[in-house]
Amino acid sequence: MSEDLNLLPHDEFRSRWRAWLEANYPDEWRVPIIYRLMGDDERRWHRMTYEAGWRAPAWPKEYGGLGLSLEKQLIVHQEMERHKCARVLDSGALLLAPVLMKYGTQEQRDRYLGPILRGEDLWCQGYSEPNAGSDLASLRTSASIEGDEFVINGQKIWTTLAACADRIFVLVRTNKDVKKQAGISFVLADMDTPGLAVRPIMNLAGEDELCEIFFDNVRVPRENLVGELNQGWTVAKALLGDERIANGAPTLSRQAFEVLEQLVDGIALGDDQGQADRVAQLYCDIEDLAALHSQVADAAIRGEIDNAALSLMKVLATELFQRVSDELLRVAGEDAGFHEPVGVVGVELDLRKIYMIARPSTIYAGANEVQRNIVAGMLMGPVGK
Amino acid sequence: MGWRTDDELQQMLRESALHVLGAEGGPAHFRAVRASEGGFDPATWAQMGELGWAGILLPEAAGGSELAFEGALTLAEELGRAIAPEPFVSSAVIAATLLAASQVPAALELARSLASGVCSVTLAWQEQRATIGLPTFTVQLDNGLLRGAKRYVPAWHDQTALLVAARDGADTVVVIVDAAAPGLVATPHRLTDGTIGADIDFQGVAVNKDAVILRGAGADAALDLALARGTVALSAQLEGLASALWHRTLDYMRQRSQFGSNLSDFQALRHRMVDLFSEIELSGASWRRAAKNLAGGATWSPTLHAAKARCSQVAQDMGRWAIQYHGAFGYTDEADVGLYVHTALRWSTWLGNATSHRRKALEAHRRERDLNV
Repeated sequence: MSEDLNLLPHDEFRSRWRAWLEANYPDEWRVPIIYRLMGDDERRWHRMTYEAGWRAPAWPKEYGGLGLSLEKQLIVHQEMERHKCARVLDSGALLLAPVLMKYGTQEQRDRYLGPILRGEDLWCQGYSEPNAGSDLASLRTSASIEGDEFVINGQKIWTTLAACADRIFVLVRTNKDVKKQAGISFVLADMDTPGLAVRPIMNLAGEDELCEIFFDNVRVPRENLVGELNQGWTVAKALLGDERIANGAPTLSRQAFEVLEQLVDGIALGDDQGQADRVAQLYCDIEDLAALHSQVADAAIRGEIDNAALSLMKVLATELFQRVSDELLRVAGEDAGFHEPVGVVGVELDLRKIYMIARPSTIYAGANEVQRNIVAGMLMGPVGK
Repeated sequence: MGWRTDDELQQMLRESALHVLGAEGGPAHFRAVRASEGGFDPATWAQMGELGWAGILLPEAAGGSELAFEGALTLAEELGRAIAPEPFVSSAVIAATLLAASQVPAALELARSLASGVCSVTLAWQEQRATIGLPTFTVQLDNGLLRGAKRYVPAWHDQTALLVAARDGADTVVVIVDAAAPGLVATPHRLTDGTIGADIDFQGVAVNKDAVILRGAGADAALDLALARGTVALSAQLEGLASALWHRTLDYMRQRSQFGSNLSDFQALRHRMVDLFSEIELSGASWRRAAKNLAGGATWSPTLHAAKARCSQVAQDMGRWAIQYHGAFGYTDEADVGLYVHTALRWSTWLGNATSHRRKALEAHRRERDLNV
């Protein structure tokens, strides 16, 4: 796209993006909450947005992104929510690219960013391990240096969509003799490297998105190191502006609430005051979180990042999503017991799946208990001081 | 301040409020007002007149400062933080909005007294428990005589002037009534914030024609705006109160040691404090959004109900855990915690409690949704 989208008034930008979604977004993907683009669908989505000039709103222009203002980035998210778009992980553009932009070599950027933009490469994030989840810095997967290569041994787990990824960025231990955060490095690997094996794990939602990855003498060239050796802990923290803010939006809660309203109307529960009070509470919780979210975003647009509020919103958004999904089951009566989509009041609903999809949100991206510890440290100071 | 940002005017008002209330407001002042017969401190109110707070929404012609409503909300926040028992919301927001909407000389005269802090002004509007928004009034003005009963009239004391919302035929009217007039029977009650409220019977109270300050659609619109503004301002006071109590509780937890650790080091307590902080963040965002929508012309939007619900709830929740984390000491009258909790009881229930407003929020949302279908 030759013109600068940043120069458009926000309203016009919004209506253009909306019109493009309405004309181009595949109808079969419009299953919010339930559906997540993966594999070829995800490639197709990146490709179509790339070709139409909508790909990578947060990336600076020098790297082929749109370089949009934070405000316009948030409009992109809002319109996708409004259009009932499916979830999409986009680990390459959202998680890896900021790292490469900040710490990568020119060769690394030249080699990897283009394929991410065009949907040719899907990436996965190899962070968690069986004994290093919330306490990520305890990770033990090791990389030893032999000549021009790293030799990686160990195991990663909970790696989302590893089975359809082309490449992985992985945190490995390169020094065992220092403070645990100080001996970690950030390394890139191709998924088809000999010695690397993926085993999908069936989750409670009935999906095999999460995987285990085994590294058995996996050899990758030294040039696949991003940033300095043993600086991986710092390197991994690079993120682009909109992501943490987008994570605090009540998008999933709101979508689940719409399903709840369909149910409540359909079952004609209007006279049940107890039920109405619970729905009213959820409604107010969603609206107030939306209010907080937009005001924290406004502050971020002015350049004032409120880290405590951002962490709190992750906790609020995910727990709220769970509470809405809990209420769905409460309202549905016996229909909540079906292990398949059922027609409830004329609408095809998979209540069990919504309920299950809501479960891990309080665990991933920093378990909520860990988030509370972090915020408590910010608000109340460290323990024992 | 984090994501909350003041404009220049708000900054100025907040600094002035922190300065004045820090020196003279807070628990000691609250105790003094609670111990007074009228539940009102004329000297402090006069000072608020001098500072321009009492007349913040009144026109300059009446000696007011005619500032935007956002300025009044900043003051409300700080008055909440100081658990100020002054009738800021009832007088400087609700009554002042009515006086400012009137073109009648008597209204201008009363506005002058209010702006200078000579008196406060209270509005008798409510006739039943748990009324939210503008009801159909049964108190009637008939041939210059006012008849009927009003309940829950706030800030009832010797220096108050009285406005009454009533029905005159098909019209809503707002009238100025002499609080000492024959036929006016007030039954005062001490409220938990230390002030006095009254139920008032009007047994044929004479009202002069000049005392009708608003009539018809104008009266309805002004009352609607006045009550909506009052509800948002009270929400801001509640957030200020909850925030002050959170910090007060943390200060105590930092110096109280048990089992060899300060209370502020125990993880279960830290997580609870984080959750309470989250609720305070939500309440701050909620009333600010409601204020924005109100400025845009929407009086009883879902967001306004959500704001009063959230702020009422958070003040009560914070009160509950503040007592708990102060231990047995928190249950004594000597500890100031109880003053905040008592104030929260009054403010969180006045103009609609959390449950009522949540119901209204859902109703308003469903109305909007059905209109859009």
